[in-house]
Amino acid sequence: MAILSLKNVHKSFGNTQIIRGVSLDIEQGEKHAIIGPNGAGKSTLYHLISGLYRVTSGTIELRQQPIHNRAPYEISRLGLARSFQVTNIFPRLNVFENVRCALLWSHGFRYSFWHLLGRQGELNDSAMHVLDQIGLKDKARYPAGELAYAQQRALELGIAIASGAEVIMLDEPVAGMSHSEAENAVQLIRRITEGKTLIMVEHDMNIVFDVADRITVLVYGEVIASDVPAAIRGNPKVQEAYLGEVATSA
Amino acid sequence: MLDVLIFATLNGVVTGLLLFMLAAGLTLIFSMMGVLNFAHASFYMLGAYCAYSISLYLGFWVGLLVAPLLVGVLGALIERYGLRRVHQSGHVAELVFTFGLAFLIEESIQFFWGRDTKNYQSPDILDFALFTLFGQEFSAYRGFMIAISVGIFIGLYFVLTRTRIGIIIQAAITHPKTVANLGHNVPLIFMGVFGAGTALAGLAGVIAGPVLTTFPGMAVVLGSIVFVIVVIGGLGSLAGAFIASLLIGLLQSYAIASDVGMQDLLNVFGIDFPYDHPLADLWGLTLPQIAPILPFLLLILVLIFRPTGLLGKREE
Amino acid sequence: MTLLRKLSVWVAYLAALLLLPQLFDSILAISVFNQMAIAIVFALSYNMLLGQGGMLSFGHAVYFGMGGFLAVHALLMLETETAHFSIIWIPLIGGLFGLLAAIFIGSFSTRKAGTVFAMISLGIGELIAASSLIFVDFFGGEAGISGDRTYGPTFFGIDFAQNVEVYYLASGWVFISTVFMYLFIQTPVGRMANAVRDNPVRAEFIGYSARHVRFISFCASGLFAGIAGGLFALNYEFITEENLNAATSGRVLLMAYIGGLGYFIGPIIGAVLLTLMNSLLSNYTELWMLYLGILFLLTVMFLPRGFAGFIMMHQLAWVRGKLRDLVVPYLMTGIPAVIFMLSLIALIELVHAEEASLHIYGLTLDPAAAGTWIALLLIATAALFGTRRSLPQLRAAWDTANHIPDEER
Repeated sequence: MAILSLKNVHKSFGNTQIIRGVSLDIEQGEKHAIIGPNGAGKSTLYHLISGLYRVTSGTIELRQQPIHNRAPYEISRLGLARSFQVTNIFPRLNVFENVRCALLWSHGFRYSFWHLLGRQGELNDSAMHVLDQIGLKDKARYPAGELAYAQQRALELGIAIASGAEVIMLDEPVAGMSHSEAENAVQLIRRITEGKTLIMVEHDMNIVFDVADRITVLVYGEVIASDVPAAIRGNPKVQEAYLGEVATSA
Repeated sequence: MLDVLIFATLNGVVTGLLLFMLAAGLTLIFSMMGVLNFAHASFYMLGAYCAYSISLYLGFWVGLLVAPLLVGVLGALIERYGLRRVHQSGHVAELVFTFGLAFLIEESIQFFWGRDTKNYQSPDILDFALFTLFGQEFSAYRGFMIAISVGIFIGLYFVLTRTRIGIIIQAAITHPKTVANLGHNVPLIFMGVFGAGTALAGLAGVIAGPVLTTFPGMAVVLGSIVFVIVVIGGLGSLAGAFIASLLIGLLQSYAIASDVGMQDLLNVFGIDFPYDHPLADLWGLTLPQIAPILPFLLLILVLIFRPTGLLGKREE
Repeated sequence: MTLLRKLSVWVAYLAALLLLPQLFDSILAISVFNQMAIAIVFALSYNMLLGQGGMLSFGHAVYFGMGGFLAVHALLMLETETAHFSIIWIPLIGGLFGLLAAIFIGSFSTRKAGTVFAMISLGIGELIAASSLIFVDFFGGEAGISGDRTYGPTFFGIDFAQNVEVYYLASGWVFISTVFMYLFIQTPVGRMANAVRDNPVRAEFIGYSARHVRFISFCASGLFAGIAGGLFALNYEFITEENLNAATSGRVLLMAYIGGLGYFIGPIIGAVLLTLMNSLLSNYTELWMLYLGILFLLTVMFLPRGFAGFIMMHQLAWVRGKLRDLVVPYLMTGIPAVIFMLSLIALIELVHAEEASLHIYGLTLDPAAAGTWIALLLIATAALFGTRRSLPQLRAAWDTANHIPDEER
């Protein structure tokens, strides 16, 4: 059974249709990439799934439960986490606090004002563990707003995965990174999404073909193909619309 | 009854137009710079006091011309050397800055002019009754107020929609970076709009001073109501501000003029409460009594049920 | 900071609170300390909203005032023997009413932060201040209501007739309130309040409703503002509509901002500073409000992080032992700057002077003599030039003290 399922989703802003009838099923444990030219509606799709936008019509279901039109915090609590294309962290908190906040709900603290964070051993250990995974352990007390770009992207990732969500949606996670930084980032992503469901919007085709089990191609708000990488590579519609002349490194 | 209605309507219109003069400047400044100028009513007060002083030596009409200009120049300077600096610290800092500015302007006015009420006179030439209806006079000065307000708005509308600078301003309101890329001096435009907005506030002060009395508390009285108007009308909408100004002006005017109270409402239902009932204050409420708080009640209702105001932009 | 160092800070705080009346025991001093105590709790409660939660409120005095009004009514109840409890609990009663008001008002006003929230808070503040003149039974109209704190059972024999007794009670409540407000930040919801302040959208994506978090911060700050109101009622035995209005709301904003929003200790500094200006400066000049306004505006423009921020800016230099390098540049710039300020103040006072002579800084100046004016203007101009000349050196020294060479990164 698909863990995330979109059925005929439409989204219009006024008279402008951005998403025109997208249907998509993503299986549990799958690594799914979404690609498409700029303006195709990839970010809009993300916003629809994660609760920032309401759908004009259609349904989105997580584990067969409808999540479309629900608030972002409700969807997050159901086990779907996302990162952002433009770094979206808590700049005035330090790196450790950023991650710890992301852990609070999943550790059951809710809106407690009777627990002292400093004394929650399990919580703090988990936070340190996440920092370790993303390689920011020695920057734990740094104000997040003062990190270098690639480190902020790593933190961005850390916040997304900290809650232990089953479905992780990443939006251009390596954008703006140098080649070596991107390689490290991809390895990190592979490591921390092992056993989980990963959805990734990405422009770098090498990464896409490397990481993805299946690829969906979005053009002008429509899915023109959704298949395994090999099939996508050979799909004439995709080549015409997006890939153009791709030097495939076999 | 009809005479009360007519005069209440006229007074409401005068007040409403005056409020719009303040609200228009505030809306322009907010649309352009994203900052709600807390000190707006203080510029209004400054206009009144400046015009008062000028009128002592050079007469009302010179004051009418010169005072708004002085206030506008001061406003432009404050934007250039104060607000612009604070802009980089964020919206909260800007709001706090204008709040401090309001405080400082009021203290400075008291420093230079003292704390007494000033005898700012309307010009003798307008000291006659424009018309008399049902035995009550409508003064020519109030008619003048309406005429000036309407004249200013027509002028403003013309400048914003028909002149080159007006179109540039409209563009700079929503897309300042694009306008800058087209070679226009956006900081200068900002300074100009802020100066124009404060000049409008000053002008409102010049014409309102003789009628609403020129005293140190005049900014406080109007200040909050202008914010209420801008929020109810929808932040950033001039048309909304216009409707809301008239609405509030008329509402207050009718409320004060009417004689209705809670008692009357309860009597309709056949309920009567003794005078020493613990909640006697509530039952004894009359409409004129709550007239000052009606705008705020309206504000809260609007913010709960329609937070974008009457004509404000909707958010996703 | 280690646990021992943290604890010693709190012990020092408590000690300072308790020892102050021993050091300065005049009636004026005790009265000032009482005012400071009230201001500290009020300003700290405001910072829960603004500094911690990012919510700018122009109507915070409502919760202060409501707490105060109920506190005075409680005093009246003690007087008429409708109730029987020691007045040491009055601040808590004030706090609970402040909390109640915050729960009610917060239920619809915390949906958004930013400008909308500020406007709602302004509207509510004006509404309640205006209503207080209409509902005369509870609010006493323009004259307010007054009570007597010596009624009710005594507390270990103390009837709190004396101001200094009230001070010790107040300092107890100040200490407890400070501790709890500090601990609030260390709780899940307190920390999430910071997160919501920084990035409300992202906070939603980690499972928290930004609105709910803001609501809880709002209620907590209302509770402590109410406690401050209760302390006010005990100290002055009297409360009016003025204590709920926009001016009082503005004053607490000033306190928190000047002290420094981003630091817990900021509002405490601001409260102390402003109380001193209010009580001491007002004895020397009528124009202290004008100076306050100028100080506030200058702080917003040049010291956006307040006095606490200014002190903390030196943390890096202190840690690296480079603080002493800054002393001389500070003196070189600071002394002319102070002289400039003092001469400017003298000029302002001179303009305002109604009598034949002005007494300032221990001197007697003659407003009529042209010489006085010329001398002051010359001093001011010279001082201004001196400041501007030494400023680059200060900047250079600052950069050196704060520069982290690449090897150390």
